[in-house]
Parts: sequence; structure tokens; C-alpha cells
Amino acid sequence: MTTVKDNKEILSEANNSLLNHILKTIKEKNPRHGKKITKNLENIGDEYYKKSAEFFNKYALFVKGEGKDVDYGVDCYLKMIGIMMYEQVDFFRTGEYSCKSFEEANKAVYSNPEVMESYMHGLLLSQFLWNHHYKVLEFFIEQINSVKGQVNKYLEIGGGHGLYLSEAMEILGTNDIDYHCVDISAGSLEVAKKFVDNPKVSYRQYNIFDYDEAEKYDFITMGEVLEHVEDPVALLEKLGSLLKPDGMTFITTPTNSPAIDHIYLFRNAPEIIEVIHKAGFEIVKDFKIYSEDVSEKRAEKLKVPMMYAALIKKK
Amino acid sequence: MTVQDVLGQFNQIFIDVLDEEDIVLTLDSTADDVEDWDSLTHIQLVVAIEKHFKVTFTTAEIENYENVGQMCNGVLEKLTAQTA
Ligand SMILES: C[S@@+](CC[C@H](N)C(=O)[O-])C[C@H]1O[C@@H](n2cnc3c(N)ncnc32)[C@H](O)[C@@H]1O
Repeated sequence: MTTVKDNKEILSEANNSLLNHILKTIKEKNPRHGKKITKNLENIGDEYYKKSAEFFNKYALFVKGEGKDVDYGVDCYLKMIGIMMYEQVDFFRTGEYSCKSFEEANKAVYSNPEVMESYMHGLLLSQFLWNHHYKVLEFFIEQINSVKGQVNKYLEIGGGHGLYLSEAMEILGTNDIDYHCVDISAGSLEVAKKFVDNPKVSYRQYNIFDYDEAEKYDFITMGEVLEHVEDPVALLEKLGSLLKPDGMTFITTPTNSPAIDHIYLFRNAPEIIEVIHKAGFEIVKDFKIYSEDVSEKRAEKLKVPMMYAALIKKK
Repeated sequence: MTVQDVLGQFNQIFIDVLDEEDIVLTLDSTADDVEDWDSLTHIQLVVAIEKHFKVTFTTAEIENYENVGQMCNGVLEKLTAQTA
């Protein structure tokens, strides 16, 4: 008699040796953190195993091209977690983010290529190690599929590691679509350029507030940038000025999520929604997910970070 | 205050923060023994302990504490230093 393995088992065994290796290394080097992310990845759904295997294989090739291996990425990830821990301690003590100005973040983080490269590798891996990051990526993919065929000019602001851009390009295709990626950090653009690995993209180093383009965009993606500025309403207004009247925008931003370069503290989803409305946008569809599998009441009491994502358009 | 006194107060803090009535801590307890003790709740626990005892840990201490006993002794040392 042959035993039939279910799909999930086969996928997770054959393809996910990299995921297993990464989780094992994280557990060895930071047991409490390893415990947290492993717990959060339980019950994530079968699709995750397929998609994450593809991702980690792509990631391994990408770092190989740089003469590095996956363990380099894991080190970057753990470094990011270490820095975040400092910020979390400060946040739970004071109730505020420690970084107060764009200048501070720019000096310490964006303008420092080594810091930024390591940070972006860490953040890239978190897209498939954090349940809530992965679920937001899934939501993004769903929204991009819904605008397929309607986009000729696409912009990503603060593309960072390039994962969202590469997913969008895969869905929308590259024929007759102009792709632009604007980021203030040379380090980020360097990582994105190599990860996306597609000559169709024009990479542009700008502070988004100083950027302009005569012909406006059909679609703009801006993941996790709103919390990096002093005035998020002004940032969304800027984004609105880059968008065609019937264009669409996909944004994400977290609540209660301290990091060295997070400035604007959103305490809950209604505060984010208010900013979106104030900037002249309406919400087409949104999605919220806490970083931990806890009740709403406990999440609020313990200030558990939440990721908010939305497809929005101009009112 | 003895280490046992500190442990008793820790137990109540763990119950409050983790919202689990039946936690029974020993000096050897680690994150492996307490279901919801992970990297995020660790920081919430530590900051609750700081507020309760009016002490401040260094970030290196917070990062390196492995079990409840080390944390209790950390609190005791800080309290002793305050009164010295
Ligand atoms: C946290 S990363 C987000 C990466 C990716 N979009 C994601 O969602 O995971 C933020 C990115 O925004 C960029 N950024 C921050 N402020 C910016 C600004 N004012 N103009 C342009 N880019 C900015 C940073 O350099 C960084 O690459």
C-alpha cells in the first residue's frame, strides 16, 4: 500500500527546504522571535507554501548573484529585528515613536547605503516570514489583478526591496506599460533594481515631495511610506497630484509599529482612514490585519501592530 | 524583599499582560514554558515589570534575559542599588 501525502506536505517538504532552513536559523539565534513567527505562520493556507517556495528560490538566486547566500539575508533580518526591539522598548515605555523628523530618518537611514541595503534585505524576507506581511501581499495581488488591462503607466513610491513592483509586473505584463520606481534612498533602489531584474523599469532617486511627471499615472503603489513622513495628508495629496483623475492607488501603513525611521504614529485604523479622506481620496476596498493572532480587545490593550492596506481613488 | 517576593509579583504581572489565569512561574521558567511569551510579549512584560517596580532595564539586559530567575534577580539588584 502506498501512502498518499497531501499537497501541503509535498510542497512544504520538496520546495520549502529554504524556508525551513531560515526558520531553524532564526530559532537558534533568537528563540523568542523564532517562536513568535513560527506560531504566526501556522494555518496560513496552502497557497503560502507554493508562493513562499518560489520566493525563497528567487531570493537565493538574487543573493547568489551578489556572491552571498541566504544566511546573509537571515543576518540582515535578525539585525532589523534587533533594532526594532530597541524601538519597541522605547515605544512601550513612552507611547511614542522615537524618530521625530524626516531629517533624522534621512540622515540615519535612507542616505546610508550599507544600513539601507541590510534593512531592505531584512524587510524583503519579512514579506514571507510575517503572516501579516504575507496576507497584505496577497491582498495587493488581488487588487492588481482587478485593474489588469487598465494600466499604461505605473509608479511605485518607496519601492524599497522591489517585491511589490516585481509582483505587479508579473500580473500586468511588461508590454506597453511604463514602470517607474521613485525612492529617496540609493541603497533601496540598488536592491530593487537587482531583485526586480527587469530593464523595463525606470528607477529615479527623489524625495517624493520633489518629484513630478508631466504625464500622470494610472496606478500608484506606495507600501509602508505614509508613516515615514511628518505630514501624511500632504504625502497623499502629492500622490493625488501624480495620478490621473480616474487613476487608482494602493497604499499600506502600519499602526503601533515602532522602527528607526517611523515618524508618524497611527494608533488605529480610523486615524488612517481620516488621513485618506482628508487628502481627497475615497476607499474602494481595504484590509486590516494584526501582526499577532489575538482578539481585537487584547490587540488594543497591548498595542499590537496592525497593517492597514487599501485601494483608493480620488473623490 | 526576597527573590520569592519578586517572583510572586512577577507571576501576577505575567497573568495580567498575557491574560492567562493559570500561569505558575518558577525561577527556571523560560518562553518555552509559557505559551504566549514570545519576542513581542517579552517587551510588554519587561516594560510592565519596569513600571511595577519603578526600575529600568538596559536594552542588553532585555535582550539577553533567558529565564524568570535572571529577571527577578535583575530587579532585586536594581532595587538594592537604589536604597544603597
Ligand atoms: C519601509 S520601506 C517600504 C518598502 C516596500 N514598499 C514595502 O512595502 O515593504 C520605505 C521606503 O520608502 C522610502 N522613502 C521614505 N521616505 C521617502 C520619501 N520622502 N520619498 C521617497 N521615498 C521615501 C525609503 O527609502 C524606503 O525604501
